Amino acid sequence: MTGFLERWNPTVKAGTVLVCVILLSVQYLVSLNLAVFGVCLVLLLSGSRCGWRRVAALLLPACLAALGLFVMGLYYARGGSVTQVELDTVSAVPYAVRAAMSHNLYTALQLATRLLAYAGLGMLFALSTDAEFFIASLLHQCRLSPKFAYGILAAFHLMPGMVREFSQVRLAFAVRGLHVHPLSLKPIFTMLVNSVHWSESVSMAMESKGFAGNAPRSYYTVPRVHWYDLAGAALAVGGIVLGMLLLHY
Amino acid sequence: MAEQTALSMQDVVFRYMEQGKRNILDHVNLDIPAGSVTVLMGAGGCGKSTLAAVAAGLYPENGGVLAGGNVFWFGRALTGMDPQQRARQVGMLFQNPDLQFCMDTLREEMRFCMENLCLAPDAMDPRIDAAAAELGVQALLDQPLHTLSGGEKQRAALACLYVMESRCLLLDECFANLDRDAARQLMDLLQRMHRQGRTIIAIDHQPDLWLDTADEFILLGDGGRVAARGLHKGNLDRYRPLFDDLGLFYPSPPRPHIPLREERAPVLCFEGVSIVRGTVRQTLFRRRSAAGPLLLDNAQARFPQGAMTAVLGPSGCGKTTAFLAVLRRHAYAGRITLNGTDLAKIRRRELYRQVGIVFQNPANQFITQNVAEEVMASLRVWNPAWPEDACRAEADRRLEEYGLSRYRRYSPYMLSQGQQRRLAVLSVLCGGQKLLLLDEPTYGQDARSVQAIMAQLQGKVRAEGLSVIFITHDRALAAAWADKIYWLRGRRLEPVPAEEVLA
Repeated sequence: MTGFLERWNPTVKAGTVLVCVILLSVQYLVSLNLAVFGVCLVLLLSGSRCGWRRVAALLLPACLAALGLFVMGLYYARGGSVTQVELDTVSAVPYAVRAAMSHNLYTALQLATRLLAYAGLGMLFALSTDAEFFIASLLHQCRLSPKFAYGILAAFHLMPGMVREFSQVRLAFAVRGLHVHPLSLKPIFTMLVNSVHWSESVSMAMESKGFAGNAPRSYYTVPRVHWYDLAGAALAVGGIVLGMLLLHY
Repeated sequence: MAEQTALSMQDVVFRYMEQGKRNILDHVNLDIPAGSVTVLMGAGGCGKSTLAAVAAGLYPENGGVLAGGNVFWFGRALTGMDPQQRARQVGMLFQNPDLQFCMDTLREEMRFCMENLCLAPDAMDPRIDAAAAELGVQALLDQPLHTLSGGEKQRAALACLYVMESRCLLLDECFANLDRDAARQLMDLLQRMHRQGRTIIAIDHQPDLWLDTADEFILLGDGGRVAARGLHKGNLDRYRPLFDDLGLFYPSPPRPHIPLREERAPVLCFEGVSIVRGTVRQTLFRRRSAAGPLLLDNAQARFPQGAMTAVLGPSGCGKTTAFLAVLRRHAYAGRITLNGTDLAKIRRRELYRQVGIVFQNPANQFITQNVAEEVMASLRVWNPAWPEDACRAEADRRLEEYGLSRYRRYSPYMLSQGQQRRLAVLSVLCGGQKLLLLDEPTYGQDARSVQAIMAQLQGKVRAEGLSVIFITHDRALAAAWADKIYWLRGRRLEPVPAEEVLA
């Protein structure tokens, strides 16, 4: 059973996320950022099939980055306001506390929470969107050319094979006495040669199955934009606009 | 042009380069009757795959130049047909099962095919169900295609041709690399589709599987021209000399090779080795290995020194994984010894100085873009102290020995499959390795190339004491060349005599 996030038309979803990101980038409200982040997490965990493990796995680097941004904003923000708080009376207070008492704390929070909000929106899209559904939706809602769409799908489905092949290439190199480290270019060259062969073979196979690029074809399923897809978009964008108007911090 | 002719090629000339002198197809004339099963046979490099691609209209659309001639399908000229119309006439099954799908599952792939033919969406599901029932592939419908075995993928691809209702099936070496059982299952489906009135044109270099099914064998010579036709099961023996002449497999009961009688010291020993198919997956933070099914269970084996040993077994039974264990690239329980030393105690680099491997696809192990450089690079790796001249002289000597010196300036990727394998063997043995592991040496090759490489290795085994272990699903190959045969079945390695393998 798919959740409502997965059924949400992917093109509309992508557009919504994009608009939300742009809106968030012109405001400085910590509370709104946190609210967006929280809502994204709740929606992901309740409205899609992706488990909390995947969410947590992606959240960890996002939190680390947010922490980094926070510390940076706290200590190195423009205006150097740590000195402003450095009154004679509190000079015995540790530096970190003094920094926290300064105006910098709010700047740092703004930066860090904004990053979290972006991360939430990104995950909302990435973790709840089926690649094939997205491409099918782009095909019909954005008039993506079928040649391009099915080319991407074919490449996407070749990935497991490529991963297998790549590890074999690396093994073959190692057995030949070459030291291969993760960034070696030689195996990548071999993979490029393979990829050219593969793309030729796959495209010929597709053509022999009657696929003719941009010729007319029928479609088994046509993703449509329903009223509830647009309602979801309006709700998300409206919520953020409301937040921008009503919230103060 | 009569409707009774499925494929008609008239004076077809095709080459890859506009200005090229060499015609891959040189004035080919060929008529194949509708409703028949025809097998086209020819040695590697005779242009038979090109012939198939030209007949299916994939060339010159995707490369090459049709310098002359015409192709007709059921009386209609191929030029002027778009891919949709072509697909209704002829569906093609390719050699490499991995590279013929663009969707995730068979069901979606079948829908993709029918969408291309502009079939109404309502008509699709009934057709899929009917095809799956008829061909017995229901179980494959919703599995991700990349998880299927080679044989399953070929059956899936055939099911796609079934739903497209192409009038003719064109098969380009579709049995290559399938084991005997998988090949039989595929053949069974082909026979069913033939009984429904479809024409079948197969390109193959081994006639064995087709003997009972084919109405006619056609032998192709140079330039894809017909060397002989009208061959069938009854008169095949008259053409025996021609088979040998063209370097083709003649379907004779294979003669078992006379193995070494003496018992030799083992070069490699498996003592109670168990291997699990581990799917090592790199997740975001750590490598997670999920324990899969048991492939080897407490297996014992002794691979003799200075001899050739075959490991037989169907595809996917764990032969290659066992090789990976020998290279210390796959975890195992138990003890593997190399010349009496526990494998676990040998450092990897030292191990690779003693053991070399040639994979199914030798193109994956080339490290340079030049044949001579390929050998020199290996010599330099293993003999860092050698001066440049010595390396060059040694490389030339080895290329000469393997009959590759003509190609020393070529890119390894331009060589034929057979030459690529020879080059791979040659460069893998540059460090004086004493044990060579060979993964499916028949992959993508005709009789002559296979014979050539096996004979060469046998020579090295006898003269220089090299030990070779090759894995294959081809029983005749094992019986013909191996001094000792292990059969991987029931998760054990059982030594079997050649006679039993052929029975």
